[in-house]
Parts: sequence; C-alpha cells; structure tokens
Amino acid sequence: MTFMEKFQFNFLENSRWQFMVTGLKNTLLISVFAVILGVALGFLIAIVRSFHDKTGKLKILNFLCRVYLTVIRGTPAMVQLLIVYYVIFASVNIDKLLVAVIAFGLNSAAYVAEIIRSGIMSIDEGQTEAGRSLGLSFTQTMRLIILPQALKNVLPALGNEFIVLLKETSISGYIGLMDLTRGGDIIRSQTYEALFPLLAVATIYLLIVCFLSYLVDRLERRLRVSER
Amino acid sequence: MSVDRSKVLLEVQGLEKSFKNNHVLRGITTDIYQGEVVVIVGPSGSGKSTFLRSLNLLEQPTGGRILFEGTDITDKKVDINRHRQKIGMVFQQFNLFSNKTVKQNITLAPINLKLMTKAEAEKRAYELLERVGLPDKADSYPAQLSGGQKQRIAIARSLAMNPDIMLFDEPTSALDPEMVGEVLELMKELARNGMTMVVVTHEMGFAREVGTRVMFIDEGVIQEENTPQEFFRNPQNQRLRDFLSKVL
Repeated sequence: MTFMEKFQFNFLENSRWQFMVTGLKNTLLISVFAVILGVALGFLIAIVRSFHDKTGKLKILNFLCRVYLTVIRGTPAMVQLLIVYYVIFASVNIDKLLVAVIAFGLNSAAYVAEIIRSGIMSIDEGQTEAGRSLGLSFTQTMRLIILPQALKNVLPALGNEFIVLLKETSISGYIGLMDLTRGGDIIRSQTYEALFPLLAVATIYLLIVCFLSYLVDRLERRLRVSER
Repeated sequence: MSVDRSKVLLEVQGLEKSFKNNHVLRGITTDIYQGEVVVIVGPSGSGKSTFLRSLNLLEQPTGGRILFEGTDITDKKVDINRHRQKIGMVFQQFNLFSNKTVKQNITLAPINLKLMTKAEAEKRAYELLERVGLPDKADSYPAQLSGGQKQRIAIARSLAMNPDIMLFDEPTSALDPEMVGEVLELMKELARNGMTMVVVTHEMGFAREVGTRVMFIDEGVIQEENTPQEFFRNPQNQRLRDFLSKVL
C-alpha cells in the first residue's frame, strides 16, 4: 500500500476519522473543565495554606488541605480516576465526562495549590508589610499586591501543569470514555495498523501543547513589563 | 517645628516582645508628642527596629500597651487597619510594590481604602511627586529607579495617606552613600513642616540636627533619652558612652 492508500484506509474508510474527532472533543472538554476546577480549588487551598503560614489561623482547614495534598500527590492519577468512577460514583448514573472532569480537576488542584503557594511565598515579606502598614487588610494586600506578582512568577509552572493535565487525560479510556488516545486506539484495533493512528494521536497532542506553550509565552511577555 | 506637649500621639506602656526564648523588648515606656522627631539609636540587635515595628503592630507585642491617639491599638477588638492609615511607615528596603508604577504605588491605598477618588488620588500623587522632587517618574516602575529615588517615592506613598505620625526604619541604611543625602534632606523638610516622626537610624548627624529627642535603646530597654545636645555632649549611661565612642 502506498502512503495515500494507508491514509485512506486508516482514516477515511468507514469514516474512521470520526473516532479521532469525537476523541479530541472529549479530551478538550475534560481538559478545559478540569483546569477550571483545578485552578479554582487549587487557588482556595493555596490561600488557606498561605493564610495559615502567615497568621497561624485556620488550623483545622489547613490540616485538611495538607491531608488532601498528601493523598492526591501520593497516589497515581489513574488509581484516582478509577476510584472516582468505580467507588465514589459507583451507584450513581453519571456522565463519564463529568467523572473524568472531577477526577482530573481534583488531581490537578493539588499541584496547582502548591504552585500558587510557592508563588505567594516567593514574594518578599516586605511587600505584605508595606501594604499592611498603609492600612490595607490582609485580603486587600493579597488581592492587590501579592497575588498579581505571585501569579506572574508561577505562570511558567502553571502552564506546565496544564500541559501535564492535558496529557494525563489520555488515561480516560480506562473508564470507557473515548478520548483522543482511545479514539486512535479504536482505529488501530480495526485496521491492525499501529503507525498511522498512533502517530496522528501523538501529533495532535503535540500541536495542542505547542499552542498552549505559545499562549503562556505571550502572556508571560505581556506581564513582564514592570521588570524593564 | 515645635513640639506640642499637650497633644500626645503615642503612649507606650511597658512594651514587651519575645520571639520564642528571645526576649527582645523588656518593658519600654515612653510618650511621643505631636511635632516630635524622636531619633532612636542603638547597636544592632538592641531591639530598636522591633520597637519601631511594634508601634504599628507589624510586630505583635507580647506585653504592655500602645495607645495611639487615645485608643489602645494592642486591644484585639480594635480595627488596626483603620489606625495604620494614620501611621506612615518607611522601610529600609523601600518595599515599593514592584508590579505597580510609581503613580499606582502612591494612589493604591487611598483609592482602595475609599479615602479619595481616582482623580483626587492622582492629583495628590503629582503634588507629592513634585514635593519629593521626582515629578517625571509617575509612570516609571520601581525597577527603573535608583535607591534614593525609591525611598523618596516610598515616603511620598506614606504621605499620600496624610499620616499623623511617620515611622522610619533605617531609611538610609540600604542606600549607596551618595544617595543618603537626598533622603535625609527630604526627611528634614518633613520635620520642618511639623511632621511627627520616629526614626531608627545610624545617621548621628541627622539625630543631632533634626531630632527633638534622641533615644538610646540597648538590651530591649531605653537606656537613656535626652535632647540631642545633652545626649551627645553629656551621655550618662556607660553603654551609651561606649556606643557613641564607636560611632562618632
């Protein structure tokens, strides 16, 4: 078979390309909503932990956050996905996409929390003191002064976490979800050709990651104005 | 530049501060009156910076009381943020907000605390920049300024809150020698205009020239305080004599 024939056989025959399209759509859906959940929850955890570090308050909440981080970071994402699907939502009829979003979002939150907390810690204590000495509250100082600088500092790390998350969703197939990886794999199982479908899958991931990196890069450059 | 003995701004009563086993302040009692320029000197590790930082509760005292304009600000029920608005502070490391322009540094607190509208705050910022001699720096970022310029902006930022008293924590110690003068000059101008100031510094010339009272702190207590003339000419405390013989 020539290259074109192989291409035709793997992707065009029986409209097999649709597996990839559905898969890609699901991968993107899971990633986007998991990132949103991860950032929101991670942000909250980072605030609780930083508030505790700086003031010694919120002891119980801080303890719960630490337990959460330990458990999530100490177990494989795949096991977490399986637990969320087969244990937590075992008796509930729930969309698998939602299960994946929850599992990957909860997972990512732990990493996002530590990234944002490291950003907050990287800001000199003097910035906080200057804010507080002007009469700003802890919350105002955080919101107006510390967080904008902290987020700027951790943008590369956050971008990296989003990339990791996107690729991590490739295990969604284990709960019977058709993501991009599973889509390619279905084609492989039908055509008994590994090279084309898997190469196509890899290329699509690569392109998305490149696009993400480009966005993060641009944002970074825009935020760097004050360091001239 | 006159001290108004009828108006006491800060009353410090038996102030103590410990960090774990380290007893830094061991009972400091003093009153600071309107219009005073109190210069605090002492060897490093003596507790003078801790004392200054306690005055606006950046350090939480572990004992004693501080009354600011009659209110006990060490009382947990007091809204410290409201009182801090009236206590300006200038730091050794300037602590300008590095992601904000000079103008934003000056206007951030007045606007967000709803003390001024944006337009009012900016008008005031330009007046203050004029006063500290940096009218063309409004749109610069801190990273583009020299140390002396940063400290003058930090002073302008403090002044934007119209404080009743200003605390200076070694304001010239992080500066290159050629920039010390411009900051001290500005501080002298503030003093001449009647600002009540508490200054921790190693600049004995400033203490002598501008201070209305010089205070020597060592081992967490006020060892001696006096008018600059008496303080430098006729020191009583042995530690102070040793200290002065080293720094003068």
